[in-house]
Amino acid sequence: MDDRSRARSAPRLFILQPASVVPIYRQLIDQVRRMVASGQLPPGTALPSVREMAAEYTVNPTTISKAYSLLEAEGLLQRNRGKPMTISARRRANGTVAQRLKQVQPHVEALVLAARQLDLREEDLAALIRKQMGEDT
Amino acid sequence: MTESVVSARHLGKTIQDRVILHDISLDLPPGNVVGVLGKNGAGKTTLLETLLGFSRPTTGSSALFGEDSFTLPAAIKRRIGFVPQQDELVSTLTGGQQLSLTAALHRRWNRPLIAGLCAAWEVPTARRIQALSPGERQKLSTLLALGHEPELLILDEPASSLDPIARRQFLQQILEIASAQTRTILFSTHIVSDLERVANRIWIVRDGTLAWQGDLDALKESVVRLNIHGRTALPEHLDIPDIVSCRADGARATVVVSGWDDSQARDITQRLDADVEVESLSLEDIFVELHR
Repeated sequence: MDDRSRARSAPRLFILQPASVVPIYRQLIDQVRRMVASGQLPPGTALPSVREMAAEYTVNPTTISKAYSLLEAEGLLQRNRGKPMTISARRRANGTVAQRLKQVQPHVEALVLAARQLDLREEDLAALIRKQMGEDT
Repeated sequence: MTESVVSARHLGKTIQDRVILHDISLDLPPGNVVGVLGKNGAGKTTLLETLLGFSRPTTGSSALFGEDSFTLPAAIKRRIGFVPQQDELVSTLTGGQQLSLTAALHRRWNRPLIAGLCAAWEVPTARRIQALSPGERQKLSTLLALGHEPELLILDEPASSLDPIARRQFLQQILEIASAQTRTILFSTHIVSDLERVANRIWIVRDGTLAWQGDLDALKESVVRLNIHGRTALPEHLDIPDIVSCRADGARATVVVSGWDDSQARDITQRLDADVEVESLSLEDIFVELHR
């Protein structure tokens, strides 16, 4: 019981909102990806077990294991026998440029739609993207 | 293939000339938590009770653990726990007496589990049941179905009288059971937020039929609202597959579709010469859209 209350009192890593339009497993995948990309979850970091996650966030355990499995397939998480899953050592961008561009496609579509509604010109939008990407590297 | 814990083939139930259930076919493998969602009077309770074999179906059949629901052998019944919407507690007994009585009826009874939950859920065991609040009765009634650790747990509106704290504790217990990954839980509710937390599958009951059965994530991902803005007036027939509801006026249309795949957006954009905005929906929105 002691261990459990200690585990429960650990700060939360993620924000999972069951009522969101985004399925819970998607929310978890997106957050892990982002936190790995930004270095908040460095390689070797252990993630809570499926059971601990389900208890902490009061969500179905299969939802958590689905997210973990997909992240493992993506190469972001590493499964360790009898131990918690950890963030993989290799930081990598998976797939060809075309495949990775496909991943960003929905965001681009949303951005272009918003830009059209605001009557923005292509050059201005492109300049903004260039500036933003320059700042982040 | 794993055997279905719950299955039904063309199940129908008519009570006094009124069709309550119509042509329901389903299969449920073990290890799932299913939320049964439906409006009041949609047929949720009748569905659960017919699956449990409380009455003979008018048409078709259903089975639990591969055995016909209506003639379940005792060995199968022992593997099932049920919490009815209207509890069947004996009001002159105390909570403790009621628990002992039920425990005595079972070969297997996990006393430490029930004692622990009585304390955690603050179920008064010394007071007579007639003096308990609706929430306390509901908690007690749930405990009666948990002590023999059933492989299949069926709950009809289990959290309707519980306050938010008690509901959260109840949901956590459900998840604790689900974490075993071999036990199956079926619960009806109209509290959509509870369902989104604990269920991985969903059955939507509408007018006595199953309007949807499947993965909750798949439902959320496949039902979307399309906001279409044409450059000119849109054709009368939009020719989009799996339309759930559609409102169109001139160059604009709002269409809800099931079975959505993002690759369809480009086709619609080109074919209709229109901007298409794809809007994801919450389960509550989806439920409402399926009832339009």
